Amino acid sequence: MKEIKKRLLIILGIMLALVPLGLLTDNPAWGEWDLDYYKQKLGFVPQGIEKAASLSPLIPDYEVPGLGAVSGYYLSAIIGVVLVFVLYFILVKILKAKNES
Amino acid sequence: MHIADGYLSPTTVLVSYAVAVPLWVYGFKKLKEKLNEETLPVIGALAALSFIIMMFNVPVPGGTSGHAIGASLIAIIFDPWIAFVSVSLVLLIQSIVFGDGGISAWAVNSLSMGFVASFVGYYVFKILKDKIKFAPFIAGYISIVTASLVVAIVLGIQPIFWSENGHPLYFPFDLKITIPAMVGEHMLFFGIVEGIFTQLIYGFLTKKELEEVQ
Repeated sequence: MKEIKKRLLIILGIMLALVPLGLLTDNPAWGEWDLDYYKQKLGFVPQGIEKAASLSPLIPDYEVPGLGAVSGYYLSAIIGVVLVFVLYFILVKILKAKNES
Repeated sequence: MHIADGYLSPTTVLVSYAVAVPLWVYGFKKLKEKLNEETLPVIGALAALSFIIMMFNVPVPGGTSGHAIGASLIAIIFDPWIAFVSVSLVLLIQSIVFGDGGISAWAVNSLSMGFVASFVGYYVFKILKDKIKFAPFIAGYISIVTASLVVAIVLGIQPIFWSENGHPLYFPFDLKITIPAMVGEHMLFFGIVEGIFTQLIYGFLTKKELEEVQ
């Protein structure tokens, strides 16, 4: 387990360093278009899709306001990785607390 | 493969949560058994790897792009239930923080990229691991292609069941379009990406360490 952990952290570091490669394309994923696409293709935007489009997340599309594309993408990746570990850390605490009580 | 808010009818959302919640409950029970201070960094790093690999967008002909998921890697290295829970948590972060995939679609996304991808990958690997050297590749490939089929079906039934005066209310393209488009591009491209990722990382992680994993 220890050796696996070490190797995983190496891979994670390398992948994190390479993450801007994900920016090489502007193409959206199939089905993940913006509203203009539907207007063009169908002549209208389906009601449900139009209504939902008003929701706005903290860091939309992994672009941090005020940062360039690459640094914003790096920061997004780091925030994501940290959040994953924080979530698991909290889970361990909760599960442990339950076990002790 | 991340379905956004507004793409699914409320009925689809309700049914998907009704299916996903019991699976999450069971998955968290499994996680409770396996998660401790020693396994936390391993499970955390595998989940983080899934988050990162999904940021590597690969362009394909036709003006679209896609990415690997990493579910099958977690499933074969660790456990399919842990893979399902991990990918679900990753999807939750992506949805809330980055707007990648909808909150209402969290259950569907977790079922396709989490549950289906993890268990398909796990069982394909289990069947092939002693027979073929490329078992992780095949597991990753079939895992993501199956997940894409689930997404294609869920999206493709939307206009069939939920339209008004011929206008679809939610996702507008039906099965005749979603299945060839989604499954096709995953068979041709992203399946290979997922396969290579699974094979490479699995190989690197288990080299001379097999006895430690088991």
